[in-house]
Amino acid sequence: MMGDRRNPLEEKRNRWGWFFVAPGIVFFSAFSLYPILYAIWTSFHNKKLLSLKPPKFIGLQNWISVLSSQDFWNSVRASAVFCIGVFIPVFLGSLLFALLISSRKKGKRFYQMALYSPAILSSVVTASVWLLIFDPRGLANQFLNTLLGTAGVDHKWLADPVMVQLSTILVYVWKQVGYYTILFGTGIGKIPSSVVEASMIDGANSWQRLTRITLPLLRPTMALVSVMIFISSLKTFSTQYLFNQHGAPLAPINVLTLNIYRTALSDQNLGKASVMSLFLFFILLVLSWLQVKAGGQGEELE
Amino acid sequence: MKKAIALCVLAIAILASVPAQAPVVPGLGSKKITINLWTHEDPNRSVIEKKYIAEFMAANPNITVNYNTYPSNRIFEALTTAFAGKQGPEIFNVSIGNAVSFIDNGRVAPVDYKALGLKGPADLEAMYLPGMLKAVERDGDFYGLPLEITNMCLYVNRKMLKEAGIDPDKDYPKTWEDLISLSEKIVKREGQIITRRGFDFRYDAYTNLFIPMVEQLGGEYVSKDGKKAIIGDEAWLKALQWMKELGPAGKNLGSPTYTAARTAFDKNDNTVAMSFSGLYQEARMKASNPDFYNSKDWMVVPFPQWKDSKKKVTANYSAHYYMVNAQSDKLAQQASWVLVGWMLSHGEEYLDKVAIIQPTKKLIESPIYKSMPYSDVFAKDFENANIVYVGKASARLSTLLSETIQNVMVGGVDPKVALEKLRKSAQEALDSAD
Repeated sequence: MMGDRRNPLEEKRNRWGWFFVAPGIVFFSAFSLYPILYAIWTSFHNKKLLSLKPPKFIGLQNWISVLSSQDFWNSVRASAVFCIGVFIPVFLGSLLFALLISSRKKGKRFYQMALYSPAILSSVVTASVWLLIFDPRGLANQFLNTLLGTAGVDHKWLADPVMVQLSTILVYVWKQVGYYTILFGTGIGKIPSSVVEASMIDGANSWQRLTRITLPLLRPTMALVSVMIFISSLKTFSTQYLFNQHGAPLAPINVLTLNIYRTALSDQNLGKASVMSLFLFFILLVLSWLQVKAGGQGEELE
Repeated sequence: MKKAIALCVLAIAILASVPAQAPVVPGLGSKKITINLWTHEDPNRSVIEKKYIAEFMAANPNITVNYNTYPSNRIFEALTTAFAGKQGPEIFNVSIGNAVSFIDNGRVAPVDYKALGLKGPADLEAMYLPGMLKAVERDGDFYGLPLEITNMCLYVNRKMLKEAGIDPDKDYPKTWEDLISLSEKIVKREGQIITRRGFDFRYDAYTNLFIPMVEQLGGEYVSKDGKKAIIGDEAWLKALQWMKELGPAGKNLGSPTYTAARTAFDKNDNTVAMSFSGLYQEARMKASNPDFYNSKDWMVVPFPQWKDSKKKVTANYSAHYYMVNAQSDKLAQQASWVLVGWMLSHGEEYLDKVAIIQPTKKLIESPIYKSMPYSDVFAKDFENANIVYVGKASARLSTLLSETIQNVMVGGVDPKVALEKLRKSAQEALDSAD
């Protein structure tokens, strides 16, 4: 029975705990929970953005309309293509850069900074710079034509349905690879030097150290980075938006976020936009759960 | 005697140069009001509007006016977001196709005739050319005052045509077929990359320019009763095929991914020979490249027709109206209408400095309008012009139209497939608009 008695000190601590997390809870409730609940409510109503009339309850109409729309499934396709297209180069590129940088004795900070610098640019600035590069008379055509010896070929970076998807992927990879390099770098830095030293004493060469020690011990970071890449690439918007504004065809790059934006603002249909947002939310929720799991796994291993 | 006459002339000149006093908002007392004004970017217009606002604020020291400009392709989104969050500006302007949803959703206040010194709607209507206020009329009241009415014609670089062996006076493009054939003569490429365009379309104005192409052939965007979308497949397919021919999937003469043709045209740097724009482009050209403006190297010609056009239709005109937020404070609404009335009372200066036309009877008859280069070409085309489609689904339809044309032109989509998709989506948009 003694065990059931609460420790007054612990109770006091718990009270302080609530006090400290209260701002976070208030912030989360106001800016995350409330919009989520509101989106659920809106998805069952005929809510128009500018209308002052009270929205009418229309049951599953918005859900049926969205889930049976070709446009929506094209957006799911566009988002999936983008995520997968981004994942491989970002994951492998950042891992490779992190391994290269960590193997260097000097100038680590400089290389990290150089790779990270695109990440601090706003997405709009990034897309605007790349619009110039992808202009038919821009650097992208010049570079590729010099490389391939195909003078005067327009690779239609913004015009061709396949190329425009590749262009958005390229911009994203350029912007994000530095950020994930830092994460991998941190993961590599956490590998105990005693393990590496022991392997060296046992006569392991560089390749063996990489494949038998570094990569296996980096697995939790890899899982975390993978999920993070998926989450952030699903939220991509500015590049697709700006490219379309400058004449790129919409369908190939009409990712979910862009479709949500256009449905809400251009079509002013908040009900349908909410359905799409909730669809995206559930995907992100699953990925976030995986992220938490991956993070937990990492801690356990540590 | 001569001296007396000279003195009189001088006195009149001095009096004429003194700016008229901006009106004082009645009943304001010591109350302080802030008016936010959002409008689309136009550097020439901003200069004069800021001047009118400064004069208005000097006459009404308790009123603060914040003047904000947005890119024309972003202002609708900015306004929609702001209004949805109940943070809409007191005064705003947006193209008429997009303004409809603001009016029909009760976001716009009816014109305060008293604040403008008028007796009622009839007085206001009498000031304008017939039909110019129809788009903003609801139940006998008006919900906006026209800032500009724009129809587009074809700007032609005479020098570039001559260099390509084309006589600009006789052989300027009169038909859509001419535009393609002349472009083929002028275009220069390095491989597939265009370095000089003969002509390029205006890709932000499909409802102004593409819809008349369809209408010339007997097709329709939306039926007269507003219930059916995309009528006359033959006409639509021919117009879409023409766009495809122009683009990279066709004869590779132009593309929306190149710099906007009208901007390149003004530079006169041998990159674009022909582009569509409104009379206002003259002011922009004058500001950005006065040498070219003052030269005889450019001209404006009427909107092209098809060789087998069924009826003459010129470019649809678009309209921008200054509107006042119905959710703002009543006194702020009144003050806003006074300010709008004050700004728009300078129609001649808007025309002179910005080359935009307020469709008032007074302005159209004024010597300054008649003296603008090629204003007669614009005026003649205007006689056969219709307003861009204005309906409850106009914003959505405009988006769908852009998507369709861009998919055909640069996305390689077959015009028939694109048309079917457009018909289905446009009909859905019309059916679901309430």
